[in-house]
Amino acid sequence: MSRLHDMGGRFGDGPIPVPRNNKNEVINFEPTFKHNWQAKAWAITLAAGALGEWNLDISRHYRECLPPKDYINFSYYEKWLAALTNLLIDKKLISLDELKEYVAAAKKGNLDKFSKQNVMLDDRAWLAEDVQKTLGWGGPSIRDTNVSPIFNIGDKIITQSYSPNENVNGGHTRLPEYAMGRVGKISSYNKNHVFPDKNAHGLGESPLPLYTVEFKSSELWGISAEHENDSIFLDLWEPYLNPYKD
Amino acid sequence: MSEKKNIIHNHTHSDDHAHSQLPSDPELRVKAVETLLLNKGLIDSRTLDELIDTYENRIGPQNGAKVVAKAWVDEEYKKRLLNDATSAIRELSYQGRQGENMVVVENTPKVHNVVVCTLCSCYPWPVLGLPPTWYKSDEYRSRTVREPRKVLSEFGLSLDPKVQIKVWDSTAELRYLVLPMRPDGTENMDETELAELVTRNSMIGTGLPKEIK
Repeated sequence: MSRLHDMGGRFGDGPIPVPRNNKNEVINFEPTFKHNWQAKAWAITLAAGALGEWNLDISRHYRECLPPKDYINFSYYEKWLAALTNLLIDKKLISLDELKEYVAAAKKGNLDKFSKQNVMLDDRAWLAEDVQKTLGWGGPSIRDTNVSPIFNIGDKIITQSYSPNENVNGGHTRLPEYAMGRVGKISSYNKNHVFPDKNAHGLGESPLPLYTVEFKSSELWGISAEHENDSIFLDLWEPYLNPYKD
Repeated sequence: MSEKKNIIHNHTHSDDHAHSQLPSDPELRVKAVETLLLNKGLIDSRTLDELIDTYENRIGPQNGAKVVAKAWVDEEYKKRLLNDATSAIRELSYQGRQGENMVVVENTPKVHNVVVCTLCSCYPWPVLGLPPTWYKSDEYRSRTVREPRKVLSEFGLSLDPKVQIKVWDSTAELRYLVLPMRPDGTENMDETELAELVTRNSMIGTGLPKEIK
C-alpha cells in the first residue's frame, strides 16, 4: 500500500527525544547542525537542486524510495545524501564508475587525482552572490489557473480509500494512509497548487485545488481516539476527495 | 481525475541503488559526493558556506518570535497575520524558501494548535529556521496525529481536557506557525522584551512562551 515514510498513526514508537538540560527543563535551542557533514549533506542537496535537473517533489520521492531497511536505519541527513546520490547518477551529473573510482581511491588513501584546483564553474551552478536572492524567492507552488474548486467550505468529503497515485505504481502522493477512506469537512480552499503526484514523476505541474480538511479524532482513530473534541487537519488536493452524503 | 493514464510500473530511477556504493562513514560519504560535484564545477564551495552560515546564524526562531511579539502588541497586525500570514510576515522581511505559503493558527483559552509533518519534515524555514531533531524523529511523526496529548505531556505540557487540540499535518506546501497566547503579567512589556519570551516550541505548539517570574 504505502511506504515507510508514511508513518502517521503508526504504533510502536517510543518517547519523543525531547532534549532537556541538567535541571530537566526542555531545551528550546539546539545548534542547526550537530556535525559538519550534516551541514554539508544539506547544503550540497540544495546546491545540486539549484542546477534545475529535478524539482522538489522528485527529490522528496527519491528519499521515500530508499529501500525500507535503509530508510529505517539512516539518520535524517543520511537519507538526504543517499537520495541525492541516486538522483545525481540517474540524472547523469555523476557516474557510478566515477563514484566507485573515488571510493576505491579513498580506501587506498590516495586521492591526489581528485584534488583539483581552479575548476571552471558550470553555467548552471548556483553562485554564492545569488544565494540570498534565490532563498528569498523560494519556489512557490501556487499557480494561476482557471481551474475552479468543486468543493465549498463546510462540505463533507470522503477521501480515496486506496493509495491514490493514478499515474505511477507506488508513486509519490500526499494523502497519508491514516486518512484514507475517512470522512472530513472542508475547512479552507488554498488556491491551486502544483500537484505532487504528477510533478514528482516529471509528468508536469497540473495545478489543482488544494484544501485544508478537518477530520475529527474519532473519525480517524475510532474508539481509541485520545479525546473526542480533538481534530486533525490535512492539506489535500482535490483528486484525493470525493463528495460525501450522510 | 478524468484522464486515466497507463500506470507506469517501472521505477524511473536506478534499481541498483547507487547510494549503497558509498562508504559507511557518513563524513566520507559526504566528502565523496561533494568532491565529485566540486571537481565538475557543478557546485561552488562558497555557495555551500553561504547557505550554512545563513541557517546557522541568520534565519531561526528569533524571526518567528518577532512576528508573534508584534501580533501581541498590534491588533491590526494580528488581524493581517491571521488573514494572510505570508504577506504579514513579509512586512518584517521574512519570506521565501519553505515559507512561500504561510498559515498562522492562533491559540486561545479554548484551542491549542500543534504542527507536525507525518510524511517528512515540512517546517516554516523563514520564521523558525531548520527543524530540530525531535521534529524529524519517527516518534514525533508517528504519534502526534494519534495521541497529541501524550506527546505534549512529554514536552511538559498538560492541557485541560476542555481545551480542543488541533493538529496540523503539513502534507502540502502550506507552512504553519502557531501564535501562542500572550503570557499574563506582560502588559508593560514592549515588543522587544516580549519577543524574548517567545520560545521556538511555543511556535510549533509543543511548548508555551516563557512566564514572567
